[in-house]
Amino acid sequence: MTKAWRYTGLTLGYLLKTAILIVFVFPFLWMLSTSLQTYRETLSYPPTLVPAMPQWINFAEAMSAGPFLTYFKNSAIVTLSIIAIQLLVMIPAAYAFAKYKFPGKNILFSLVLLAFMIPGQVTFIPVYLMMADWGIAKTLLPQIIPFMSNAFGIFLLRQYFMQIPEEIVEAARLDNAGEFKIMRKIMVPMSMPALATIALFSFVSHWNDYFWPLIMTDAEAIRPLTLGIAMLRETEGISNWHIIMAGNVVLVIPILLVYLFCSKQIVKAFVYSGIK
Amino acid sequence: MASIAFKRVSKAFDKHEVIKDLDLTIEDGKFTVLVGPSGCGKTTLLRMIAGLDPQTSGSVLIGGKDVSRIAPGKRGVAMVFQNYAIYPTMSVRENIEFGLVNNKVRKAEREELVEGISKAVGLYEYLERKPSTLSGGQRQRVALARAMVKKPSVFLMDEPLSNLDAKLRVQMRIELIELHKKLGATFVYVTHDQVEAMSMADTIVLMNKGVIQQEAPPDEMYRRPSNRFTAQFIGTPPMNVGELGESGSLFGFRPESAVLSEAQGDEPFSVRGVIATREMLGSETIYQVRSGSGNYMVKCSEDLFAAGQEVYVGVPAAKLHFFGEDERRIDEKESSYGKCMEALRGRSHG
Ligand SMILES: Nc1ncnc2c1ncn2[C@@H]1O[C@H](COP(=O)(O)OP(=O)(O)O)[C@@H](O)[C@H]1O
Ligand SMILES: [Mg+2]
Repeated sequence: MTKAWRYTGLTLGYLLKTAILIVFVFPFLWMLSTSLQTYRETLSYPPTLVPAMPQWINFAEAMSAGPFLTYFKNSAIVTLSIIAIQLLVMIPAAYAFAKYKFPGKNILFSLVLLAFMIPGQVTFIPVYLMMADWGIAKTLLPQIIPFMSNAFGIFLLRQYFMQIPEEIVEAARLDNAGEFKIMRKIMVPMSMPALATIALFSFVSHWNDYFWPLIMTDAEAIRPLTLGIAMLRETEGISNWHIIMAGNVVLVIPILLVYLFCSKQIVKAFVYSGIK
Repeated sequence: MASIAFKRVSKAFDKHEVIKDLDLTIEDGKFTVLVGPSGCGKTTLLRMIAGLDPQTSGSVLIGGKDVSRIAPGKRGVAMVFQNYAIYPTMSVRENIEFGLVNNKVRKAEREELVEGISKAVGLYEYLERKPSTLSGGQRQRVALARAMVKKPSVFLMDEPLSNLDAKLRVQMRIELIELHKKLGATFVYVTHDQVEAMSMADTIVLMNKGVIQQEAPPDEMYRRPSNRFTAQFIGTPPMNVGELGESGSLFGFRPESAVLSEAQGDEPFSVRGVIATREMLGSETIYQVRSGSGNYMVKCSEDLFAAGQEVYVGVPAAKLHFFGEDERRIDEKESSYGKCMEALRGRSHG
């Protein structure tokens, strides 16, 4: 390839990358910009991207439209509990599937995969009825219990565990380490990239979950942030985009923070496990 | 310290029986080398001692005690794996210390032990490093230190040197022999390399296809191989083996036992042949002699012949080995020994 061609290729590559970046980043920037505009600015034509005077008051207004502290707390408790319980279930399950031989293992693993393939929409009515039956409808539990195990996570982690050489586990057994110690001191540290990825996916999907809490909650005290933000449309009026967007920014910020934290962990974990 | 005994031990993977009714005693405090071709069951045997892959039937005894129901970590054995199996997320110190922590050794004592061992194997400056920053030889030492620090009564090693370069391998061999002398523990060392076995072992256990072929000190294994397989597995080039006629018996001699000369001598084995190849190795020369009855490898300390030259290969009676139809050694005291010698002499001298 000649020099000219190579530069053309490079330039094209950069242009494409920039285009893709814009497609992904623009809606986010638009949300951020709208959340800082006045009502008037949101309606102006041509639309403005940089607000003339950032309207921080929009956030205060959004947050005072309902018990947002409660919503935020509910979201945090539900999401963090789900992730914690999922990890507690997932790690031993994946370890058993990856490193043990036991009768019925293949059937059990197929069941896990099956669970992973059934969409939640199929099971939500029976699950709802069951939770109502147990008399826990007024607590946060119905938002947590159905998600205690993460079939996709078990699958992913099992694949990862299977790559860890058998001898390392055996060396640990000869070092008189119990199975839980092996998980904690060997398997988990060696699987940080997989665990961080799974936790991140889980966090995003449960923090943003709208459908399930919509069905499961009928009181303000147990509603998560997503429902609170969605209700801004009713309390603030459908055209008050600057307030609604301020609410959305509040919803998205924890995801960004978690993402930043996780991506750092992933890089770190890769460096630590840098052994061939 | 502890001896190890296998009593009618069998091991099958699924339906495939790898070891059948094996009996073996490994002496306390000895350096025992398990040697044999790849796939003959050496690793399987070692893993049964460790308890990582317990036997299908029979019993394994360590220090006279049946350990069949004892977990690997509680058998008093330590193992060095072929790929080292170092914990990659732990520092060198944590690697060495892990077993001690699990055995609830106090911190002060732990630190003292780790310090002592790491100095002994030359890792003291590397204690806080991650294994990924170490060379192959240093990782090997981490694996050794991790095993040593627990003061096991039995050391198991599965081809521990096979991932090192030739020079380091020779050095480590010597270090391991010294280590064994110092610790006085029972060492069971697996290798497929007969040179390694010969140079390190107090006792060699030679296996083939899951069956023990011979169990003897290196010199005896070399001088009195108990069957054809042993005779040809130990020693390079391997022993020359030929057929003795209709009886189906075999004769054999080591390459260095033969003498080459221009005139026929009166040795019981003496055949005429032509030198087909000549390999000059410095201190010795290896000739391949082609004769009517077969090809023979001959190792000489002097380089007197050239390729294409006609020579006589002679072997004195004391250096000849005989094997029966079943390939088992025929001893000097056995009656058929004389017959074999006569047959060979008759063939050589008409
Ligand atoms: N986990 C296993 N599953 C099935 N077969 C095995 C397993 N481990 C070893 N084998 C078989 O057992 C035989 C002996 O293996 P091994 O003890 O590893 O031999 P060596 O260490 O002497 O090379 C081989 O035929 C091998 O294929
Ligand atoms: Mg092996």
